[in-house]
Amino acid sequence: MVKRFKDLNYYQLLQVSLNTSPFEIRQAYKNMLNIYEESSLATYSFFSSDERTEILAKVEEAFLTLIDSKKRIAYDEKLVNIGEVSRSMLKDHEHKKATPIYQINKEKTGSNYLQKIRRKIQEKGVKELSNLIIKDDVISGEDLKNLREALGVEVEEIFQATKISPTVLQAIEGNDVANLPPSIYLKSFLKSYAEVLQLDTKRIIQGYLTNIEEDHG
Amino acid sequence: MKKIYSIGGGKGGSGKSFIAASLGALFAREGSRVVLVDLDLGASNLHTFLNLKNPPRGLDEFIDKKIAHLEDVALATSVQNLYLISSARCSLEVANLFYAQKKKLISAIENLPFDYVLLDLGPGTHFNTLDFFLTASEGVFVATPEPTAIENTFRFIKSIYLRKLKQSLKEADIWYLCRDEIVAMSRNGLTSPIDFINILVKKDIEQGKIFEDLLNGLKLRLVMNKVRGQIRENLGRQIVEVCNRHLYPGFDLLETINYDSRVYDAILSKQIFIGKYPYTKTAVALQKAARKLKQEQPIAIGLES
Repeated sequence: MVKRFKDLNYYQLLQVSLNTSPFEIRQAYKNMLNIYEESSLATYSFFSSDERTEILAKVEEAFLTLIDSKKRIAYDEKLVNIGEVSRSMLKDHEHKKATPIYQINKEKTGSNYLQKIRRKIQEKGVKELSNLIIKDDVISGEDLKNLREALGVEVEEIFQATKISPTVLQAIEGNDVANLPPSIYLKSFLKSYAEVLQLDTKRIIQGYLTNIEEDHG
Repeated sequence: MKKIYSIGGGKGGSGKSFIAASLGALFAREGSRVVLVDLDLGASNLHTFLNLKNPPRGLDEFIDKKIAHLEDVALATSVQNLYLISSARCSLEVANLFYAQKKKLISAIENLPFDYVLLDLGPGTHFNTLDFFLTASEGVFVATPEPTAIENTFRFIKSIYLRKLKQSLKEADIWYLCRDEIVAMSRNGLTSPIDFINILVKKDIEQGKIFEDLLNGLKLRLVMNKVRGQIRENLGRQIVEVCNRHLYPGFDLLETINYDSRVYDAILSKQIFIGKYPYTKTAVALQKAARKLKQEQPIAIGLES
């Protein structure tokens, strides 16, 4: 059954989701006023003046309730009690603190992944395989892939640790010359890749470049 | 599968015939067989858009029972695959079509052997206009961003709902259930058919459900035409949103079409705008509208469906 306008709850009325931020509530309120105010071209002839007054009062009430964190918590509680929403759908309305733009001590998002990969390297101990790869003058994408898989590291994890996009990583591992980035980027990507897996960066770059040159003819 | 689209909207001069002719030409260009039916009875000029000065044949022959099949009076136009059934030759009193004649015409329109049938309607909310509009599988409203046009469009939309409700109640033979409510509603200006459905549900749950589905099935599209200047692009979206919230949720914004003075040039030179100025913003918007209209699955809202 389609809900009548007057049966809508405040969130539905303002067309915002249950856990929306005060900023978005303010935006939604402005949008509603744009539509329902008497000067609005879209609705000036749609409603009678009584209807309009009623609608605007309700929009106002919805806004004033949801923008006030205390009232909002009470209102959410009411919605839960009448069974309109379940408690699990509600997140904490605790205001998010503003994030400073210049946060010097910001933790790098990749570092967790880096630590995880390092731990795997320690646990698995694939020294033999990596030495074998490094010894060769030609290092192919498969070599890198084999080593990564031997360590049990996913492409996704390498991506999180290095921020090299998965498609590029796949191109590198697949020796997909056509989709590789320009060589200056490729070198820096290879360097990051090698660093993550604790390999000799110079040898990896050199070996890989020899590999694709050979491949290319 | 054949599709019938009606192009209406309360206000005269909002560009219904222009939109109809353009959509027809765009459909025909892609190889479909298309017929435009000029149902602006008594004030037809669709033929002028298509540069047919004095249409040699027209709807009048069908109304006067000179021919049995409506398709016999479909005239070829300068666009390949695009045909026109004109009402330019009808008598000056044709606007007041009798009920039986209207019924016959509607069933003939439904049986036209074409891929697309586009009905170009007149302004106003005369029963004939509303019934022609409801013949289609999908309805397109054309409005312009002026208070006057929007006012008439809302009125037209509300009239369509009321007409649909009344017709269906009569067909289902449950008119007696809610006669008083309907009368009251048409007097006060139907604010919401949802109100009416709620009344019906209270009296008869099963019938209420049926009618709810019926109104849910009404597929109505809005074209915001001649948009220019200070008018924000989202006016059309706002109108659609209001209709979906306060009427029934079958509305969709088909396209916002820019004002272009070259439309006037094209009409003066009696050429089809999209043929003459195919790379203008307006023509591109029309193409988008045609594509969007075609992709949708048809939902029957017709009276005789």
